[in-house]
Amino acid sequence: MLKLALPGGDLRPQAAVALAAAGLASEGYAHGSRSLSVPVDGRADMIARVFREKDIPVQIALGAYHAGICGDPWVREFLSRYPDEGLVRLRPLEFGGTRLVLAAPAAVVAQLGPLAEWPRWSGIRIATEFPRIAERLATGMRLARPRIVALWGAAEAYPPDDAEACLLALSDDEPLRRHGLVLLATLSQAPAWLIASRQALAAHDLSPLIGPLLALPAAAGDWAPAPVPRVRRFAETTPLPRPPRTAVRLALPDGHAQPHTYHALQDARIAFEGYEEQSAVRRPRSGIPGLEVKVIRPQDMASQVATGAFDLAVTGRDWLLDHRYAFPSSPVREVADLHRSRYALAAVVSEDVPATTIAEAAAWWRRNGRATIRVAAEYPHLADDFARSAQLGRYTVMPLAGASEGFVPEDAEVLIEGTETGRSLIANRLKVLETLSISTNCLIAREDWPLRPGATLIGDLIEQLRRVPAPV
Amino acid sequence: MTLQIESLRTRGMRDLLPREMARFRRVERAFAETLSAWGYEEIRTPTLEQLHLFTSAGALSPQLLDKVYSFLDWDGWSGERVVLRPDATIPAVRVYNERMAGSIAKLFYITNIFRFAQGDEPREQWQCGAEVIGETFPRGDIELIAAGRGVLRRLGFQETTVRLSHTGVIRALLERAGFAEEDQAEQYDRVLDHDMSVIHEIERRVPELQASMHLLTDVKGSGPGYLANLRAAFAATSPRLVQALDELEQIAAGVAALGCPLIIDLTMVRDFEYYTGPVFRFELAGGWEAGGGGRYDALVRSGGSATPACGFALSLDMLSERLEADASADATAVIEVAPADTGPACLGLALAVALELQEKGFCAELVGSRRAAAARWRLTVDPAGGSARYVMRLLPDGEPASGASMDDLIGVLGRARC
Repeated sequence: MLKLALPGGDLRPQAAVALAAAGLASEGYAHGSRSLSVPVDGRADMIARVFREKDIPVQIALGAYHAGICGDPWVREFLSRYPDEGLVRLRPLEFGGTRLVLAAPAAVVAQLGPLAEWPRWSGIRIATEFPRIAERLATGMRLARPRIVALWGAAEAYPPDDAEACLLALSDDEPLRRHGLVLLATLSQAPAWLIASRQALAAHDLSPLIGPLLALPAAAGDWAPAPVPRVRRFAETTPLPRPPRTAVRLALPDGHAQPHTYHALQDARIAFEGYEEQSAVRRPRSGIPGLEVKVIRPQDMASQVATGAFDLAVTGRDWLLDHRYAFPSSPVREVADLHRSRYALAAVVSEDVPATTIAEAAAWWRRNGRATIRVAAEYPHLADDFARSAQLGRYTVMPLAGASEGFVPEDAEVLIEGTETGRSLIANRLKVLETLSISTNCLIAREDWPLRPGATLIGDLIEQLRRVPAPV
Repeated sequence: MTLQIESLRTRGMRDLLPREMARFRRVERAFAETLSAWGYEEIRTPTLEQLHLFTSAGALSPQLLDKVYSFLDWDGWSGERVVLRPDATIPAVRVYNERMAGSIAKLFYITNIFRFAQGDEPREQWQCGAEVIGETFPRGDIELIAAGRGVLRRLGFQETTVRLSHTGVIRALLERAGFAEEDQAEQYDRVLDHDMSVIHEIERRVPELQASMHLLTDVKGSGPGYLANLRAAFAATSPRLVQALDELEQIAAGVAALGCPLIIDLTMVRDFEYYTGPVFRFELAGGWEAGGGGRYDALVRSGGSATPACGFALSLDMLSERLEADASADATAVIEVAPADTGPACLGLALAVALELQEKGFCAELVGSRRAAAARWRLTVDPAGGSARYVMRLLPDGEPASGASMDDLIGVLGRARC
């Protein structure tokens, strides 16, 4: 069976058109089917699966999928870390053009000087969803002790208070204008790519799949990355001065967590102008003196609180757990349970596995020739801890950015998944072997919050939110 | 059919088996003894270091930094990455800054470093290195070269050539060619990456230097005469370049005084940005590079000022592979002490006999090993054996000889020693 990895999101409509032009149309893919596994029309020898773009290079390099279509930034991010492993760019396609840029607010540029002078300063923070590209840029620019703020999203919202600059993938300049950012450097500009597994290309006949796709018109141009910006060298560097914070800072989530948080705040009789059930601005107005509010991705909150960028944040316990498994010495703790968005974090397997425990399942997989147990999860550190604790022996953790439905059993033996009612599991012929934890939305803070500036206000907010009742 | 067992060894990592370890230890011993004789003291630094120590300008080149093993460790919630050390000099400098600053330090180490390599090329490499930190030019440089050569001679590599260069020459030419300051560093990094098109670019920018450049690129010198020719060719070009030649002359004189073959090759570069002055390389017969080093006067910094320093490293892996097999390193005799039965009295006697034999300088074991030896004996012990308390036999088929005391045993063994 030939397996094709396809992007969801913004790239999906154009990718669907390209597939149709190549004679590999998928009606389910083209019409936005909610199913993540979609057949290729009239082709029993092929299957396609929809992924978050950032997962596609990983799945192809692992050999789980033979070929795929992916935006250039995520291909570059993967190849920045693994230049010679697993993945080959086959063809630049005539859609999905994206620029990778470094940008900063004008006020930051006024403070730090032009980009060529930035190596003078130590401790510059670059916020980005592409930490590997950012690290290489910082190394190439010889920045002294740079801090790469690795994020799940909304990097453009971090400067100037939470980063000096951001490294973004842009299809147009609107985010720069909306956030008042100045373009400092364009690092690359390229369309989406047809990519394939190096191993599969070497050993298997992929021609029925890649042949039609290679017949698609190739985007003309030089897609090599731009050279590293020219900078001055400094024998001595100066720590970047940052004014002390004067306000307590609270981070609120966007996305799926937003309605739950909004209602919890309502129950606590707390309201922020610009933070509604279904919409939010990045910096809602707080009517509470001495309190600043910012909206960021819930996956990023634990790190932001740990570093002291925020005093309080509302996130899911699942993300707090993943952070603490990654960094056991992290100072972040849960300080209030907000009781909403409740689901079980569970180790889930195919219902065809004749086992009632993970140990039984592992033994069964080994007896059936599975040398390496694949554990897929949105929470890679939690999954890694689970695999070690369960003594799975030889295992790999496959990070997923989402879109986990249908992953087991074809692409992984175990899925660490949030399950609320269990209906989705049943529909996908999955079963829970072990419940790792129960997640709800919660308020987090550093454990030393009583000693930090603004402790009284922090304490008051914690108390208010601790009194939020569980919804009936 | 041969059963193929999959090796679980991590790619790029190497097991060292007993014979290989024996060679390894010979190199270690030779290095430690030689450097100690020159007044150097051993240090050991951790395998994990902060990544930023290596990423700052003037430390490692971007090409090398692309190959480091860095990650967020258990305390990495701040985003600060750590690294499996890709270089041993920078950690030694860190130790100097934190624990010895203000004094002259002469340090040596035997350590592993980690750098990604393609395929099955080694990703863990062992080095023996030494650093002299403090104002010591040119004595420190010459002492290090003498020490390095001494190690190689002690290991039996009698034909060692020292190849000399000076990083200031290329830097001076880049400046003379009119490269902007920010471009000079980038061009120098290209040279470190062995991209010699930079030389062509210099020639293109400064056509009047073309003829003189051939003296640099096409001629390898063997002594002060060559340096005098270079001085004549470049005196009008750059005072900085002439200063580099002056420094090189002092080092070359020291190497010549050692009686060591010398090559002056100004196209030779060392792989590290931190070198600022004379650099050198040790070459064995056949051109094998045993290691090298140089002067780095800008790396050791504290309180806003720099402390000059110089260092070198030898490849322990390469040297141990090229050592001649040393049969004298094998045990002359190995004695397996076998109890006549498994009762406690017999086992106790066997253990006591093995310990006593070891104290007398013999190799004695309770469990027969595969260790290479000129002779293998089996000594059966029986506390109730009377005059045959000890029965000694040379394996595989020697005649047994018995005795009632340790003196009898020693007599049988003769003067055999491990």
